[in-house]
Amino acid sequence: MALFSQTSQQGFQALLWKCRVFWPVSRCHQLFPVSSSIPSREKVNYFSFMTSSSTALPVNPRGTNVIPTNKMSEADYEEEKGWDEETKEASERKLHFSSSVGTAKKQLMSRVLSRHKFTYVQPPEKPLQVEEWNRLKETFRSPEIFHEVMFNSMIRHNSPTDVAKSLLTHVAQSDGDIAYHLLVKYLALCVQQGQTSEIRDVYDIMKIRFRMLESGAYNLFIRGLSNSDQWRMALTLLEEVKKNMTPSRTNYESCIKAAGCHQEMTLAFELYHEMLTKDLVPTLDILQAFFDFSRGMKGAELQKELFGILLYLRENQMYPHETFMRSIKLWFESIPGGNWRGHLTNIKDSGKCPICNHQLEDSDLTEEEYNDLREKIIKDVIHGTDTFRKTSPQEFEAFQTFVENRLPFDIVIDGLNVSHMKPRKMQCENLFEAVNFLAKGNARLLVLGRKHMLTNSSNWKRGIMKEMQNKADFFFAENISEDDAFLLYATLQSGKHCKFVTRDFLRDHKACLTDSLTRHLFRKWQRGHQIVFSPSAEGKHITFLPALQYDCVVQTTGDTWHIPYKDVFEEKYSYKVPKKWLCIQQK
Amino acid sequence: MQSANMLLKKIVRSSVLPFAAQHGMKKDLFPLSRTLSLSLCLKQDNSCNPSEKLDLDAWKKVMKSGLQEEVRETVSERKELPSLAAARELLEMWRLAGRSVPENISEEQLKTFMECPSKSAKKKYLKYLHLKELYKKNDKRKMDEKRERRLAAQEEGSETDKIKNTSFICLWASSMDRAYNWRVAQSMIFGQPLVFDMSYEKDMSVREVVNTVRQIVLSEGSNRRSADPFHIHFCNLKDDSLYRQEFVKHYREAWDRLLITATDQCYTQIFPKDKLVYLTADSPKVMKTFDHDKIYIIGSMVDKSIKKGVSLAQAKRLGLETAALPLEKYLLWNSGGKNLTLDQMMHILLTLKDTGDWKKALEFVPKRKYCGFVSKPMHELKKSLNLINTLKLGKRQEEVRKEFAKNYFKKLRQK
Repeated sequence: MALFSQTSQQGFQALLWKCRVFWPVSRCHQLFPVSSSIPSREKVNYFSFMTSSSTALPVNPRGTNVIPTNKMSEADYEEEKGWDEETKEASERKLHFSSSVGTAKKQLMSRVLSRHKFTYVQPPEKPLQVEEWNRLKETFRSPEIFHEVMFNSMIRHNSPTDVAKSLLTHVAQSDGDIAYHLLVKYLALCVQQGQTSEIRDVYDIMKIRFRMLESGAYNLFIRGLSNSDQWRMALTLLEEVKKNMTPSRTNYESCIKAAGCHQEMTLAFELYHEMLTKDLVPTLDILQAFFDFSRGMKGAELQKELFGILLYLRENQMYPHETFMRSIKLWFESIPGGNWRGHLTNIKDSGKCPICNHQLEDSDLTEEEYNDLREKIIKDVIHGTDTFRKTSPQEFEAFQTFVENRLPFDIVIDGLNVSHMKPRKMQCENLFEAVNFLAKGNARLLVLGRKHMLTNSSNWKRGIMKEMQNKADFFFAENISEDDAFLLYATLQSGKHCKFVTRDFLRDHKACLTDSLTRHLFRKWQRGHQIVFSPSAEGKHITFLPALQYDCVVQTTGDTWHIPYKDVFEEKYSYKVPKKWLCIQQK
Repeated sequence: MQSANMLLKKIVRSSVLPFAAQHGMKKDLFPLSRTLSLSLCLKQDNSCNPSEKLDLDAWKKVMKSGLQEEVRETVSERKELPSLAAARELLEMWRLAGRSVPENISEEQLKTFMECPSKSAKKKYLKYLHLKELYKKNDKRKMDEKRERRLAAQEEGSETDKIKNTSFICLWASSMDRAYNWRVAQSMIFGQPLVFDMSYEKDMSVREVVNTVRQIVLSEGSNRRSADPFHIHFCNLKDDSLYRQEFVKHYREAWDRLLITATDQCYTQIFPKDKLVYLTADSPKVMKTFDHDKIYIIGSMVDKSIKKGVSLAQAKRLGLETAALPLEKYLLWNSGGKNLTLDQMMHILLTLKDTGDWKKALEFVPKRKYCGFVSKPMHELKKSLNLINTLKLGKRQEEVRKEFAKNYFKKLRQK
């Protein structure tokens, strides 16, 4: 029952700082194994104990032992974030009733600051009598949001429901009614602890009291009920949600997992296809659940569905993370009479799988895809809404004729990008080196630059530029034009064998493409055709990392599957491709 | 009691049947009676062990008894489409759950809300409305307080009501306006033109257009009050455009009496091309001095999403000269976009026109966007930057210093 009545600025700030530092901790620790979560919890409390001027109660031991499952608690914390905002809301609302003359902003600031303080109310361990609650409320700094704050901290500390009930009784008594948001908070507490009968009770009460519920409550109901033996009720609730809005993918996730848990695979797949038709992107958890629940089950139909999921990953260029990959592997190996064997491996640049010696698909596009991509690049990236934004029609036309007359190129170089390779050197020297290196194999080169490279300056020596122009074709765009768009155009125009050299990830150009299918094509093409010079090249000569020989997607030949996967903790950028693979073959 | 009151207000406001109000009355009495009955129970409880005998499910009984009729309404008083009514109800529930949702929402706004393409768009729109409502309420509260204070002051100061002798007439707003209008009228004949290019409607959302017009109205106001106003031209202003609608909404009947030139012609048709300078932050050229013979063009565009180079493209298409403000040269830029609002541009140009002093003019750049003016002598700047680099990189400071000095002067020379 520690209410921190701290007025000194310093202690206050320290407390604030603690809040800020430790909240993330208490959120993050959900990601780590359970064992580490307890110390961090205690740490938080220990610190709050340190900073409190009044006496803080020791940690509620029950609170730390009840650790909900990973996924659930994460979601709870998300919920909680929303509630913090809500608390702010309430204080804002109060603002308008208060008639003090101070500026609203300052008031609000102090409210918000003190809000952090409020969130550190320690909930009582035992149910309290109404009078006791009253007393507590009176000692609280702003009684009008006392209930909210108390509920929030109960959820944070995972208090026993009896305590929450006693508070509800207190609210019902003093107001003759319980506000909707308090009911939702109580519901969240019940969901957190999996108290099915209470969830049902709250549902009945809400149904009586309100004609319609909102998404937050539905989310909680669906999550709470799907984890219980009354999971069918979650399905009916899902139907109810559909009447007014589109359910969220987490709603579907709960229902699908519940159905899978009870071996109702057809039902689960129905839900899955339904969400696909609603254009919802299934969470990786859903997909993983399918593999987990079908482990060891027989059935051609089921197998087809799961292969369908793998192909879904392929279509959307998604990579499973490590635990998901393990689920896939185990499922394959558990197929009765399937004789599948999975191995983890790294695939070399050549694109040969060291386990089964299978050559992976290359990232070449089909003729149709290629033309489609080229047209889209011209339409969306170069012209966009206004040709003048990146170039001008005259310039683009001049470039087109220039390229047509000199086709085909083998390598197209982004001159300015390459010239910044080594910052210690003159820019034209860098470019000169690169051109020399790439021209060795009698490759036809095109270097794209801007007109300012032609004026003799400290960085661009005219003599060197002249010499380079004997080895490669040069095109100089206007200084305010985008040279990257030209790079893409020239490479695509030259045909499939043509590669391009730049360190740019081309993300902004990818973003210009209007539909996701083309974006995927673009990425695929980029992976296979981009040559990057290694930035760490400190030696005499420069080195280029060759373009990938193979395409990094989930792929199958019928009796083998190759699935790239990423480590869980690895930051994945859209341009990075996983290096680790799962190779599955049928004996 | 608080929430009960809120609920009561809600009922009286939004729902529904005339007798709901009576219920509200009843409801006010409810808690009292209930408290009485419950406190009796509590007394009995207190005689035995308190925490053991606490009835934990008392709240359920409370919730299940009474208060139900009011919610069980099916007929809505508003003659709305069923979908609208459902949306309204959903919003009400969200408000109860404590989301940022406005208390009152008009039918037009509801329709806009329902047309929002995604969940997040809906959320954003609601939050916007909610904040708008809060500001409105706050303003109203302040006004009321002010009025009360004024009345109180009048009551106190009523006895000291003497006529003072002054040799000055009290100038009221109307005569000020007349003086301003006279100046602007002069500028319409002799003043330097300043063009607002109204050709970006297709690049903007409705809200962006509304914001644009608001900024232009502000700039027009500050232009009117200046000592030597510009002659403002609104070019490419089509009659059926949203811009125009919004202008009329703002100015009402004053729109036709406004001392500006509004035309649907392009500025290239009105002025000689070689005199035009298009101001855009994307321009490679930096403005060095304000030229009194040039005609500056400002693109009337608010860009909330990042659309790079739209106005530069326009200038390129028409083959006009472009210029950007020398923000980097005079300010130590901190963060934020270098594209300024239209009223800030107006202030800057007016100041430049009057004084030609960049430092004074760039005072109008928002303070959060820069750390300070480049005022220190160059070697001091270099010193501090070197220090920063040394701290960052530790070794190789000699190299870094040379490198940096080279680059920095190169940059300066370029400008």
